[in-house]
Amino acid sequence: MASLLQPDRVAYLVRGEKRIRAPLSQLYFCRYCSELRSLECVSHEVDSHYCPSCLENMPSAEAKLKKNRCANCFDCPCCMHTLSTRATNIPAPLPDDPTKTAMKKAYYLACGFCRWTSRDVGMADKSVASGGWQEPENPHTQRINKLIEYYQQLAHREKQERDRKKLARRRQCMPLAFSEKYGLGTRLQKQRSGAPISSLAGLSLKEGEDQKEISIEPAQALDEVEPLPEDCYTRPISLPEALLTSLVQVDLHLFVSLHRTSSLKPEFNPTSIKFKIQLVAVSYIPEVRIMSIPNLRYMKESQVLLTLTNPVENITHVTLAACEDEDPDGMNSTAKVIVPTKELVLAGKDAAAEYDELAEPQDFQDDPDVVAFRKSNKIGFFIKVIPQKEEDADVTVSFKVRHDFRNLAAPIRPSEETGDAAAEAIWLVQNVELRLGPLAP
Amino acid sequence: MADKQNAQKSVKIAAGAVVCVESEIRGDVTIGPRTVVHPKARIIAEAGPIVIGEGNLIEEQALIINSYPENITPDSEVEPKTMTIGINNVFEVGCVSQALKIGDNNVIESKADVGRNVILTSGCIIGAFCQVNTCEVIPENTVIYGSGCMRRVQTERPQPQTLQLDFLMKILPNYHHLKKTVKAGHAAS
Repeated sequence: MASLLQPDRVAYLVRGEKRIRAPLSQLYFCRYCSELRSLECVSHEVDSHYCPSCLENMPSAEAKLKKNRCANCFDCPCCMHTLSTRATNIPAPLPDDPTKTAMKKAYYLACGFCRWTSRDVGMADKSVASGGWQEPENPHTQRINKLIEYYQQLAHREKQERDRKKLARRRQCMPLAFSEKYGLGTRLQKQRSGAPISSLAGLSLKEGEDQKEISIEPAQALDEVEPLPEDCYTRPISLPEALLTSLVQVDLHLFVSLHRTSSLKPEFNPTSIKFKIQLVAVSYIPEVRIMSIPNLRYMKESQVLLTLTNPVENITHVTLAACEDEDPDGMNSTAKVIVPTKELVLAGKDAAAEYDELAEPQDFQDDPDVVAFRKSNKIGFFIKVIPQKEEDADVTVSFKVRHDFRNLAAPIRPSEETGDAAAEAIWLVQNVELRLGPLAP
Repeated sequence: MADKQNAQKSVKIAAGAVVCVESEIRGDVTIGPRTVVHPKARIIAEAGPIVIGEGNLIEEQALIINSYPENITPDSEVEPKTMTIGINNVFEVGCVSQALKIGDNNVIESKADVGRNVILTSGCIIGAFCQVNTCEVIPENTVIYGSGCMRRVQTERPQPQTLQLDFLMKILPNYHHLKKTVKAGHAAS
């Protein structure tokens, strides 16, 4: 049954700030604290900016300067699709000889979805394929910039006062711009403690900059407002004027990556993001999957076949344990489970095994009551399930999986004992919850 | 067999038109010069003749059909209405056109469905997968697009696909057999 292989049938417990359960395929494994982590435990940081239509990578500073807009890509003002550049041949007079005409290439923007073209609004064709399309000047830019500067300075000043107050309380020696330097990370912490955020404060002014006083003219309120012209509702709109200013540049998307630790540099090249893939939990933790479920009956013991897969290349020893009665992790389970008490041995994952015909058969002594089958790095084993509740809800069981883990990639600390080259095995315990489905009618 | 031959005979293909053998043309159909009919296109004149002008591009799996309206059985007396298609129209892949009168320079995009009571003037673009089965005359240079069949008017008509037509008229005979041009009728305007 393919439904048994659905990822949400088997959930692993993550002991982070919140205790959540998620399928192993959606979890990550932190090599430094040897713990399962979910997306809630990591803080997302903006890594790099890119344009979703031309995939051009832009350094963050440049993106801020260009207000997060791509220079070459535009959106259709009619349907918000991305515009594409088309070329036509138009006869144009040669610069040398005005009487003769030659075919020159002219470029215009067109939307593939609603067939809007830049010629529709009277925008002239450009002679260069990209870079010819200029954004018209906003008449209010100066005033807006001045307002932004003024408020940035105000926010910065407020933040400094707040920091000063905190310093006075804590009596520690922290630099004034501490919260600014570490950017998002401390901003999140601040959010949790309930302090008000001023979103502009983190943006620009450095500590040593001259704090020049920027003053702005307050906006003036007018008593009289010019009334709308009388034919405002009846006059037909002349479209070319209305749409001329509305070429919208495409927003840059933020490329979000996992935040490792502050001591490691993030990747500079967004096309070579490798570390996220290395950290997925499936490549470190043995995975439990449901293989077959018999009819489950209330208070009757049935055998469920599970598989356990070893993702690493060395032999893993796994011990299973049922959750105790008072265990808070096992509160959700609606059935009692009896797990095999013997230690299960999983062979290492051998990538070349399928090509190696002369491989020696694995020499593990398996108890046929416990181990149903064994296939390279996977074994099938039985657990006994006794449903305790007669409700309509799914029967859920939970148990603990204790396995040994060798941290091969952690930085090797110089140890005093000589000859201690191999990584030491530590024992990890994962709490697994299985959803076995409803009771048989 | 005789019926089929009769039907075949009343297909008039002008000189200069490129009509692939794999296309299905049934009934009284006249095709003007410089028109390209791709393989697997279907032009079916059931309830009356179809007259197609010049410079049209009818792509694969397009269906141009002059059929009886649904509530009228073919037995009763209905005067056959002629379906007229102008010049430089494009019927893209998989579209269905039952409109009785189509003007010039229209584009019916892929999988669009145009009903019998629609009259397309000139320069209209029926967007992909749009179903237009109202009873109206679509004004010139209208673009119908989007899942809600939104409309807008553009300022210029779509360009005639001369480059594409020239290319196809050179390439298609290299790979397909063409329907022989029967004695040409008058070029439809």
